[in-house]
Amino acid sequence: MRHLNIFLYEFKHFVRSPFKIIALLLFIIASVYGLHNGADLYEKQNAEVERIYKEAETKKETILSYFENNEKGPKNRPWIDVTTPFWAIWNTPTYHFKKPSPAIVYNIGQTEQYGFYKAINTYSSPYDADMAKEIANPERIQSGTLDFAFAVLFLLPLLLLILTYNIKGQEAEQGFLPLVFTQTGSKNWWMLSRTAFYIILLLFVLLGLLLYGAMLTNVFETSSVFWSVFIWVTIYLIFWVIIYFLIIKYGKNTVSNTLQMVGVWLLFSFIVPAAIQQWVSIEKPTNLMVDIIDAKRDKTDEIYEQASDLSDKQLFNLYPNLKQTKVASDTILIKGARRRSLIALINIAMKNATTKVEKDNRSKNELIAKTYWFNPLTYFQNKLNHLSETHYDDYQTYRNDIQNLVDKRIEILVYELWNDVTVDKIKYLEYNKTLKK
Amino acid sequence: MLQIIKNECRYLVRSRIFIGISIAFIAILLLSVFLGNYQTQKQEQTYKNAKEHVRQQWVSIDEMNSHSAAHYGTYVFKPSNLLSSLDEGVNNVTGNVLRVEGHVQNEIIHSEASQMQAVSRFGKLKPSLLLQYIVPLVLVFLAFNSVSSEKQSGRLKLLVLQGAKPIQIILSKTISVWLYSVLLLIFILLIYGILNFQSLTPEILTRTLLFFLSYCSYYFIISGLTIFFSARWQNATLALTSMLGIWIIWTLFLPNILMSSAEQWHALPSRNEFQSAMKEDRSKGLDGHNPADKRGLALKEKVLKEYGVDSLSQLPINFDGMRMQADEEYGNSVWDKHFGNNRDILQKQKQKFQLGGIVNPFISLQNTSMGFMGSDNLHHQEFLLQVEHYRRVFIKMLNDQQTFGGSKTGDWGWKEDNAFFKSVPDFKYKPTQISTVISNYILDVFLLILWSILIIVLIVCGTKKIQIV
Repeated sequence: MRHLNIFLYEFKHFVRSPFKIIALLLFIIASVYGLHNGADLYEKQNAEVERIYKEAETKKETILSYFENNEKGPKNRPWIDVTTPFWAIWNTPTYHFKKPSPAIVYNIGQTEQYGFYKAINTYSSPYDADMAKEIANPERIQSGTLDFAFAVLFLLPLLLLILTYNIKGQEAEQGFLPLVFTQTGSKNWWMLSRTAFYIILLLFVLLGLLLYGAMLTNVFETSSVFWSVFIWVTIYLIFWVIIYFLIIKYGKNTVSNTLQMVGVWLLFSFIVPAAIQQWVSIEKPTNLMVDIIDAKRDKTDEIYEQASDLSDKQLFNLYPNLKQTKVASDTILIKGARRRSLIALINIAMKNATTKVEKDNRSKNELIAKTYWFNPLTYFQNKLNHLSETHYDDYQTYRNDIQNLVDKRIEILVYELWNDVTVDKIKYLEYNKTLKK
Repeated sequence: MLQIIKNECRYLVRSRIFIGISIAFIAILLLSVFLGNYQTQKQEQTYKNAKEHVRQQWVSIDEMNSHSAAHYGTYVFKPSNLLSSLDEGVNNVTGNVLRVEGHVQNEIIHSEASQMQAVSRFGKLKPSLLLQYIVPLVLVFLAFNSVSSEKQSGRLKLLVLQGAKPIQIILSKTISVWLYSVLLLIFILLIYGILNFQSLTPEILTRTLLFFLSYCSYYFIISGLTIFFSARWQNATLALTSMLGIWIIWTLFLPNILMSSAEQWHALPSRNEFQSAMKEDRSKGLDGHNPADKRGLALKEKVLKEYGVDSLSQLPINFDGMRMQADEEYGNSVWDKHFGNNRDILQKQKQKFQLGGIVNPFISLQNTSMGFMGSDNLHHQEFLLQVEHYRRVFIKMLNDQQTFGGSKTGDWGWKEDNAFFKSVPDFKYKPTQISTVISNYILDVFLLILWSILIIVLIVCGTKKIQIV
């Protein structure tokens, strides 16, 4: 009962503190603004995906019209013949999208560092120039978007600071702390009850904000992401409550407590993550992708210039069933099929180069992960990034999917070439269906 | 007044907490300068290796058809800038690798931020991070109770009775706190200067001086405002929390919100829309690879007429190279239109954002800091323009060689020798001179000065009637 009274007393204290109420309102405004930023990005990306789908459909219709009108391709490009597997597959518009998760409303994460759609062809690679991020002002990207995660990770500790900074300190300065302890019995329980009021207040506010966000992008459609975000946000809140509680418990006065709280906040929000990023940049400088450049140019030239026997051997190793195809035993037809199949060998060279880049990136991420125990903000940021599918790993999965689609496309092309297939409308529609998967 | 400033400084130096904080803070600042410098040197080495590797590949081409060489192309890497060890600006989020080839203007890709998981929302531990975010807070902590504590102890009353005017006391306190930040700045820049002594040029010194002045101005605003609050309000905690509130709004809220708003007011096209529009415009021009192209045929007629011959085989030159160059020139005009449009939008966004300095001097500080250190978007765009100019010279040289180098039309087997490829110049980045871009930062500088004047007016007018007890 005594603790309930302290709890209720804190409520009275809160409603009589305009400064604290304004701080809470500002936090709510910032969070709502952040949620709308996330929702806008969700809408924008979905609209763009939809637009590209339509564009691809139009292109597909154009190619289909060639089959219907017994044409081989556009009149001004006579070398195009859509009845051959090479040109039919070349003209099968295939896009791969990284569709935004509804949870992006809570956390934009690394979304703005990467592209989210990619036109796939047989020459594609997950590190092509069209994998670049959307056109945006780099100064805006550098300063970051004020999303809900920003409000939680950076502003929530400040709000908690404003709400709790004068617990105990004010009473100590006014000289009635011994009286309070006498009346309440336990110093720790008195402080804990007062702090508990703000924990519960903030949990309600956060839950309300999360529910508001859920209404903007149908977060509940995605299994348990809502509750996962809520749990992680709660854990984060508790983390700061513990730090501040210890400062209040051992602190002497309000000003000293405030300075210590701000100091810890600065340390975890600015100095530690910034120092880690600097250290990682020194340990692993930015990769200028020289391996990929080499594979794209010199290795490609090498493959085109190598002996036919060697190319055949490498192609048969890659696709053993090629040996049994119609073209494999035809000394005339094999020349054209072989030349157009060399892309499969180039693709392998590119994959070897990208593996090195990815290994390098992975080692950077491992370095960062090793610092989590003293770099909590980065840890929580990346937890939220995973939940909203905006983490580096999610984009790596997207890149892997692109590579798989390219592999599949090349394999189909090679077999079709070596089986000397003639493409008709039905076959073209089949390509469209198969290559999308 | 000088005596009061001296007394204030003595008072600060006698405080053990102040000395402790200062030592810790200077250590972090030193660390940031050393690490920033070391990282720039390491990145510079990576850049040099990559640049040499790519150049070596180019000059090692034994023989190749010049148009094949245009497709082979080359790569330009964004160089790291010595000044960026003080403020990295947008370098972390912009790409670093740009492919230079025929027919197409590629985008710069492979940013540092895309090569790892998220770490810091405010960038690396560069001096700018500490100077922009942390030093102002240190000044707030130093100044928030400097007048209110004097009131509580009765010292303010004593000083006034001894003949000092409140305005003199408040201005002196502002100056003494401000001097502390100026000393920190001088210290950092001195260390930076010593570390890079051999690379210092008048350009770097000018930029660093402007950087120094911008920060001095901002620190004066912060010191003055905090002392003003401390003088106006009886409660030191209220002065502290008010300044913390202002700091949060200025540094965390407004820059984000205003930049996002500026991007919405002047929206850039999506990448797909942009590329589709470029492709559409490009398709209206000449297709260098298509001999049946109508505009190509018209060019052919024109050239045949000029040379007074009836067929391409009679031409003393290779018409294929000429058609390729005509294709390039049309493509260049398309690029100028669309990229020019994007640059205009970016400039409008920047201008709107700069106006944010009216309500938030931190925005002006950020703009000048990045701008004077050559790491803002303007300098990035200048770099991209230089690469595009190089691309045009590079491709024209290859097309001209194809046209006038001795081969005939249709002779795709003709190959240039190694001497020609060695004669093609490499890309040399010319750092943008501050004198050519200074006009872009006049508004920011003006707003910082205006804010400083405003703070002086606020102190002069607002402290006339302060309670001295």
